[in-house]
Amino acid sequence: MAFNINYRRLVIAAVIIILSPVACNNGTEAPFPSNPITFVVNWPAGGGMDRAGRLVAEYARKRLDVPIAVINVSGAGGATGVRHVAESDPDGYTVGILGASLVASQYINPNANSVDDIDIISFIGPDPAALQVRSDSGINSLEDYVQRAQSDPTPIKNGNDAPGGVSHIAATLLQRLTNIELTLVPYRGYAPTVAAIVSGEVQSSTLPVHQLIDQHEAGDIKILGVMSEERHFMAPDVLTFKEQGIDLVTGDWRAIYLPNNIPEDRHAFLETLFFETISDPEFQEAARQLSFFITPMMAEETKQFVEDFDRSLYPVLLENGLVKARQK
Amino acid sequence: MITEFFSIASAVATDPYLLGLSALGTILGILMGCLPGISSTMALAILLPVTYAMSPLAAMVFLMAVFSASVFGGSISAILINIPGTPGAIVTQLEGYAMTKDGRASEALTYSLFSSTIGGIVGLIILMLVAPLVAKAAMQFRSPEFAMTTVFGLTMLAYSTPGSTFRGILSGVIGLLCGMVGFDLVTDVPRFDFGTSALQSGIGLVPLTVGLFGLAEVFRGIEGGVKGARKTPKLGTLVPSFEKVRRLWKTILRGSALGAIIGAIPAAGSAIAVAVSYAQEQRFSKRGNKFGTGVPEGLAGPEAANNACVGGALVPLMTLGIPGDTMTAVLMGALLIHGLRPGPMLFAERPDFVASVYVALFLALLLTVVFGFLLVRHFVRLMRTPDHILLVIIAMLCVVGSFAIRNNITDVYIMIAFGVIGYVMNRLDIPVAPLAFGLILGPILEENLRRSLIISDGSWLVFIERPIALTMLVLSVSALVFPLLQRAKILASNLKR
Repeated sequence: MAFNINYRRLVIAAVIIILSPVACNNGTEAPFPSNPITFVVNWPAGGGMDRAGRLVAEYARKRLDVPIAVINVSGAGGATGVRHVAESDPDGYTVGILGASLVASQYINPNANSVDDIDIISFIGPDPAALQVRSDSGINSLEDYVQRAQSDPTPIKNGNDAPGGVSHIAATLLQRLTNIELTLVPYRGYAPTVAAIVSGEVQSSTLPVHQLIDQHEAGDIKILGVMSEERHFMAPDVLTFKEQGIDLVTGDWRAIYLPNNIPEDRHAFLETLFFETISDPEFQEAARQLSFFITPMMAEETKQFVEDFDRSLYPVLLENGLVKARQK
Repeated sequence: MITEFFSIASAVATDPYLLGLSALGTILGILMGCLPGISSTMALAILLPVTYAMSPLAAMVFLMAVFSASVFGGSISAILINIPGTPGAIVTQLEGYAMTKDGRASEALTYSLFSSTIGGIVGLIILMLVAPLVAKAAMQFRSPEFAMTTVFGLTMLAYSTPGSTFRGILSGVIGLLCGMVGFDLVTDVPRFDFGTSALQSGIGLVPLTVGLFGLAEVFRGIEGGVKGARKTPKLGTLVPSFEKVRRLWKTILRGSALGAIIGAIPAAGSAIAVAVSYAQEQRFSKRGNKFGTGVPEGLAGPEAANNACVGGALVPLMTLGIPGDTMTAVLMGALLIHGLRPGPMLFAERPDFVASVYVALFLALLLTVVFGFLLVRHFVRLMRTPDHILLVIIAMLCVVGSFAIRNNITDVYIMIAFGVIGYVMNRLDIPVAPLAFGLILGPILEENLRRSLIISDGSWLVFIERPIALTMLVLSVSALVFPLLQRAKILASNLKR
């Protein structure tokens, strides 16, 4: 008989489980958010975007009653993760973090989403590019660098991303603005580029500041300039390009975004949530430790920023034959 | 460094909190590593936030345990169900699973555990004693060296396939082609994507190996299910006899040295170390022609190499501040969050902290042995599950594992496609391992060859001017030419007669 009782209990349990969502839906609608939020990182676990994303999620979680699950949807130079978010249900339960790759890949990759396919809600901060040289190159300043590049018949070898990547764009802009020609050597990601300049395979690189800060302090590598509006907090002694008379501001950046058509109240809720999280001094301190530059912005300002970035990037891509998917 | 190592080791060994953390990290690492799709990197990334509130020492103790144990964990599923749990375990199943099918699962796991530990310790010793030296040597290893070493690897591959060389090369070439799918590094043009976004990210190593080995095995199991071909594993003989282990000493040391060195080369990674080690053991072993049927050398060498990579990968991180792979990148993130920036400065100014990283790794290795031995018995017992249940579970793990790596459904389709391909190839007697090697080596060769030529401004002399590259080139050429000369000699002597 024991079997019978268990069987009956099982049926009752099954009925309860099946009916429970129905019961929940009958009541007044629960306030948003009542379910876990999925936070999509469009690069693999362990990278800079992943670390930034997990940190933001960690601190945003503290302001919520529901968990935030971070997942990595990587591939196609960041485009796969963006597609994942763009095509998810517009209910506010899917949020993502992305960077400059979005703007480049919409022109390069016919299958990537464009900036209009998603809704960027808040800015985390820039990750400005810089120009680094090996100390044994004898180059001591940006002026030296440009002079050497113009006079030496063998071009300086610069380590950077594949075409369309942030450090490749930085190198291309550097060539345009200073009228020099470099040999651009492509690497898959920042770590191999760091290894390349440290080993001497290339003489210079256009990596973000924090990638080579330690070698800069140890004296093996010299950072000649930062491509940002203001100096970088990790290298306060290094001048910006602007300070050295070259109007070059570029690099990666990070922002939070949603799929289009999110209900207005949820949109407002998430925008405030992430803006407050990113403005939190405790978060900013943790981010500084991880060498992230933090400059929070709300949706309006962020959209303007992305538009400006798009405008500065387009001619570079056009010149490199990288505008293949859609024209401006 | 040595005195600091011992003073910190004694402090850690008497601290129940740190010991507990290390034990917890080890168990979590083994469990996460053996789940297909959760790589060591992912295990570290998931557990990193847990360490935010800990002291730097505690965080390192915990994360090193996760790191080191997950590498061993990845071998468990490779050996028992033919699915590599982590990319570093992709050759483990070639011999390991063959042993399992033979009813020697516990023996295989013990070999794996034993050689993993030795490999890990050798990696650690190299890290402790000669890290700056190794880092310097590894830095000599640039694009031309990478290109020529890969050529050497591919040459070895042509020989190291069991059975017909032609079939081996055929399979390897398919692998090379698969490696070309996706965005091209130099021009950023998507190749072989057939106009879909699905193939733009390329064919991942994990979906490919999970399909080729895991799912194909399920298909074979369904086919042979009625006959019940698989032997029930014996639980006894957990510890192979001393004589058996003694015979593997050289293999394990060779694998360890190889793993530590390749691990120290930034961007090389454990998948390459194990592939090279496997090919090498096949050449050295007297039973080389029997590889693929459960030869311990083919298991012990790569396993040692895989774990030696842990110490190796820490070399450029600790001495130069360069994370050589994604795992060490996560560890670097963990250090940064505690205000410690690994690199030449930390190495010079905080030798005590550097030593504590070594202690953490050493403790992790010891605890992996302890928990490994405790868990092996239970894992093997799982294999007594009847086939009709086990095959369903394996099929599910294949799907989950290939999905979890990038959270991308395309990877599941790729995995299923390679499951079918693997099954068909098996029926046609075409070895599948070269396909996986081709996928690993192809992109490395292409990328580095093209980059070398950009750097040398199109001159092929770059491969002859550099000593390491030249050595590799000479080795590859002689590996191809000598057998021909030998054959010609035999032919000539036959003609004389």
